[in-house]
Amino acid sequence: MFGRPNKRTRLIAQIAATALALPFLLPLVAIVAESLQGEGFIKNYQAVLTKTPILQSALNSAIISAGVIALVYVCTMLSAYAFGKMNFAGKKLVFNAILVGLVLPTIALVVPLFLIVQKLGLFNNYLAVIVPLAATVIPFTLLLTRNYLAAIPDEVLEAARIDGCSSFGTLVRIVLPLAKPITAVLVVWAFLQAWNEFFLPLLFLQDQSLQTVTTIPLYFTGTYGSDQPKIFAALVLICLPIVIAYLSLQKFFEKGLSAGAIK
Amino acid sequence: MTTTVINKPPVQSASVKPPASRRSNGRTPGQRAITPWLYILPAAILVVGVIYVGIGYTGWVSTLNWNGIDASGRQVGFDNYIAAAEDPVLWQALGHVLVFGILTIVIQMVLGLIMAILLGSNAVFGRPIYKVVMFLPVVLAPAAVATAFRGILAPDGQFNGLLHALGISSANSAWLADPHFALYSIAAINIWQWTGFSFLLYQAAISQIDQTLFEAAAIDGAGTFKVVRYILLPQVRGTTATLALTGCIGALKTFDIVYLTTGGGPGRSTEFLTTYVYKQVIEQYHAGYSAALSIILLILALTLTAIQIRAYRFGED
Repeated sequence: MFGRPNKRTRLIAQIAATALALPFLLPLVAIVAESLQGEGFIKNYQAVLTKTPILQSALNSAIISAGVIALVYVCTMLSAYAFGKMNFAGKKLVFNAILVGLVLPTIALVVPLFLIVQKLGLFNNYLAVIVPLAATVIPFTLLLTRNYLAAIPDEVLEAARIDGCSSFGTLVRIVLPLAKPITAVLVVWAFLQAWNEFFLPLLFLQDQSLQTVTTIPLYFTGTYGSDQPKIFAALVLICLPIVIAYLSLQKFFEKGLSAGAIK
Repeated sequence: MTTTVINKPPVQSASVKPPASRRSNGRTPGQRAITPWLYILPAAILVVGVIYVGIGYTGWVSTLNWNGIDASGRQVGFDNYIAAAEDPVLWQALGHVLVFGILTIVIQMVLGLIMAILLGSNAVFGRPIYKVVMFLPVVLAPAAVATAFRGILAPDGQFNGLLHALGISSANSAWLADPHFALYSIAAINIWQWTGFSFLLYQAAISQIDQTLFEAAAIDGAGTFKVVRYILLPQVRGTTATLALTGCIGALKTFDIVYLTTGGGPGRSTEFLTTYVYKQVIEQYHAGYSAALSIILLILALTLTAIQIRAYRFGED
């Protein structure tokens, strides 16, 4: 297994890995295969795209995702810069206070969120989903980004300062370009959380025209009942943007995620 | 998602030591005292505004007898907490979370570790494909995963179809609708979705182990099992601790999968603390009681985190 494997070890490892991966592969295959059953690929997907609000819901999810990504990006970069590259009293305390958000189950906020949204009249308003979602994503992206920015040598920032860069100028001209890899992770992560979020839209966006992709399955179970192939076609479409985002940024994403967790 | 447990201070090169010119107040030269706070402000407003105000408000509401609709509730002190302690559904839900947590954490770790070891060597052909298969479920929306498995695990679903093909012709269970199987079925769905995360972290940890350790062990004639037991496992302890912690928090947080597969049923057989909190406020209009349950959930999450961080730090010394 370790060192240089011989032929027999190779064969055993290959069989073991395949046996282990198979239970993970089969449901994926089953989902895609089922979406091709019934009336077939073209008719199933055509029906989902034309006869259901899935395009509208994808647009809604995209708007929410864009809002969350923008908010998370700005807040994370600004604060990670301060936490990673500046010294000030109370830094550790504030940082840890924000990290408490990592262990917080969103559902524990259901009562206050519900009441606050009610009082502010924000039902059926994207902000009711975007703001709480960003607040729960930031603790993790901040942790990742802080670690990344802290590793940028101080000399680089010092040089910029001597050349007359303000601290904000240094952030924009020096730090942000250097932070591109972690930015990719941050954007994919925020997109993943926003696109996949189920609970907040369920609670606050109950208007039919504001449904998100994750609440679409509820719509289908009501309307389509037992038309499984179309439900599965919808699931494939719902997951497609995330799968594409993940596959195209796979290297960055995996590296950033594991670096943040084991550093 | 991750923890501060394993967060060691970032390695700084020797030349990055505080320069002599740094003032005694610890500020970077040329930096005004207010500057860092301006940068932190947006994130702090969001996190404090949503999370801390939220927790504070939840704490306040938890002392009220309130339906969440009337202008205000009646102050009842700790009555909601006393009622919770005597509520059999809460204890049932905690039991479910415990069983679910132990099953998913242990199985995800073991499967993830085995896969990471298998793919960590160059013995397996086509490793990138295996990696994608393992990790893809992690990024899928739990709402979509839950809906898919509701079909797959139905009496006439693909899972029973597979069992038939394997010669078990009596397989016709409704895996999610049978109170004997429902909780385990949900655990299985969770394991399917999250093993890739354990795999990814173990893989990253294994890749950082000094390869000469393995070579030395091989020269000493240690078999695969011994190498894993005495060299690999101690080296990935930090990852195991991270996964144990994220697993516990994850188990307490689990909502989407349960809500969309069984909704806590049949009966109360898969009620989780989260689904119970949700039902109490949204369906039953017991805002005060639901808030008390939320605070209990939060205290559990924080206590588990504190205990595990302690255990890990003590183990290290």
